Amino acid sequence: MQAYLGIDLGSVSTNFLVLGPNSAVLAHHCLRTQGDPITAIKAGLTQLKKQLAPGVIICGAGSTGSGRHLAGVMIGADTVKNEITAHGIAAAHEIPAVQTVLEIGGQDSKIIILRQGMVTDFAMNTVCAAGTGSFLDRQAERLGLSIEHFGQLALESKNPVRIAGRCAVFAESDMIHKQQLGHSMEDISRGLCQALVRNYLNNVAKGKEILAPILFQGGVAANRGIKQAFEEALEQEVIVPKHHAVMGALGAALLAKQTVSRKKKSSFRGFEVSHWNFKVRTKHCNGCSNTCEVVKITAKGQILACWGDRCGRWSADPLVNRLNA
Amino acid sequence: MLVKIGIPRALLYYHYFPLWECFWGHLGLEVITSPPTDKSVLDRGVIAAAPETCLPVKVYYGHVLALAKAVDYLFVPRIISAQKGTYICPKFMGLPNMIKHSGYDLPPLISPTLDTNRGKKSWQRAHIQAAQGLGYNKKKALTAWRYANYRLRLYREKLQQKRTPLEFLNHDHSLPRSFTSPTILLLGHPYNLFDEFTNMNLIRQLYQYGYQIITPEMLSPVIIEREATQLPKHLFWSLGRTILGTAFHCLKNSPVVGVIHLTSFGCGPDSLVGELLERRVNKLSNLPFLLLTLDEHTGEGGLITRLEAFLDMIEWRRSS
Ligand code: SF4
Ligand code: SF4
Repeated sequence: MQAYLGIDLGSVSTNFLVLGPNSAVLAHHCLRTQGDPITAIKAGLTQLKKQLAPGVIICGAGSTGSGRHLAGVMIGADTVKNEITAHGIAAAHEIPAVQTVLEIGGQDSKIIILRQGMVTDFAMNTVCAAGTGSFLDRQAERLGLSIEHFGQLALESKNPVRIAGRCAVFAESDMIHKQQLGHSMEDISRGLCQALVRNYLNNVAKGKEILAPILFQGGVAANRGIKQAFEEALEQEVIVPKHHAVMGALGAALLAKQTVSRKKKSSFRGFEVSHWNFKVRTKHCNGCSNTCEVVKITAKGQILACWGDRCGRWSADPLVNRLNA
Repeated sequence: MLVKIGIPRALLYYHYFPLWECFWGHLGLEVITSPPTDKSVLDRGVIAAAPETCLPVKVYYGHVLALAKAVDYLFVPRIISAQKGTYICPKFMGLPNMIKHSGYDLPPLISPTLDTNRGKKSWQRAHIQAAQGLGYNKKKALTAWRYANYRLRLYREKLQQKRTPLEFLNHDHSLPRSFTSPTILLLGHPYNLFDEFTNMNLIRQLYQYGYQIITPEMLSPVIIEREATQLPKHLFWSLGRTILGTAFHCLKNSPVVGVIHLTSFGCGPDSLVGELLERRVNKLSNLPFLLLTLDEHTGEGGLITRLEAFLDMIEWRRSS
């Protein structure tokens, strides 16, 4: 059976997905990157392999996410794509008429505007923590709740408290304050969901025309409290796709399929790379006063790729150039 | 030994360096420029400048410090206006004072006030007075000014042949020139567009991705001004006028495939102009529009992700 692999390597989580014929998702897996992307990729591939039926053959692979180049080099990806395009492709694949994608992941949040199946505008927030999943995780933890339970609780609230959500630090101290005032967990949870949504709409989605169908994806989309808060604020239905947490990986797999159908053969190295010994070395280049931190990746005694140089002195390597093409 | 005058490679350097180099050079001074921005220049600037100031001013500080030990005088003009009825940016007005009182050990500053609102010949007068202040006679200074003006005109004419200041100021001829690749309209202040360190080689990257660019410097100021006067409200910031005028002209007359607005974090004028610009782009066309904001913390990753997504948008549209 022909299948395509997509990997979304982010700084917080790394997601995998295998796409089979008729767009069936044959396997998927999410794990924490925990500052060690190489281990994450190897572990993820091992897991994925276990999930797959014996006859499945990976005919193409793609990577996305902030660590897409590393992932791409490790697995020999056929396509290495930015996470905005990957998410947009996946959303349009799920719901062809989609016009708005709200995406909140662990490390960043974005909004993607599509018209007639094409991405026409986007915005991405990587600076402010208050609009991301990590922030929500932290607050749930502070309240002593699991993230699922926390979303459920929010749905039960009748009188949400207003929590200042302009920035992570404010929101956190304000929440503690409201807790001390004796508000119920339900009301605080819901207040927090509303604060996150308000913050998202005012910062990330500022000035964008949010038209239905609206898709809500990313790890945070599992939280039903947030979904509800979005629906209240937008006064429209918000759809959470089935594979909301791995949409980036889905997009990468779809793109890999496209690329391979064009170039007819795949450069995927196979699942055995999970046994390879990848080494990443960083060194400061002394070629000029920029002293770039150059990253070099080797495996099997070969340099697979270099990056991080501003001038191309180290990265002007045929493999990397092919990946970037 | 020749007297050395230092010109920081920052802010309006990208528009006026040929003028200043020729003027001081003709008078017999040795003109020294700071090296292109690099990490140490930026780091020093960030430490030296007030934290709330915009990135380009911080970079300017870095260049001033890079020159401080190497020159006898520092040329830090107080640029108020280059066109009647407009102003460059309030930050430029106070710059010489801020630098002087920054607490660093600096050579004496030469800071003529350049303000076209005080009369057409204000720039000429101020330069000549500055030269007289250094002991040169008026006649010689006037001759130098005339040469310098001529040089400036040549420089601008060359830029209008679709060339970038990088070619003339950094002597960098490695940028391929193409007349057939799709064109991206690249808007922003010259010190954002042409400082390859702070903008992470944006222009080079666009060329590598197979695009060519058009910037405000490539159009005649007459055309830009004609378009800018059609703004519903008179815009005082000349850099903003230039950006909007360029956009209007190009959206109506050139086959551009996308628009990038490169701004700096903490820039007041940019946030105003940016909104006007985005609205106009959406009204006059339905081209993909990308706002890129630079600050000292800008990670290259985020910038490239946005750029790639933007270029995908263009590709998508072109292929459908
Ligand atoms: S990689 Fe290039 S830009 Fe970076 S320090 Fe080395 S020579 Fe300089
Ligand atoms: S126009 Fe903006 S970027 Fe330029 S000096 Fe003024 S505030 Fe700074």
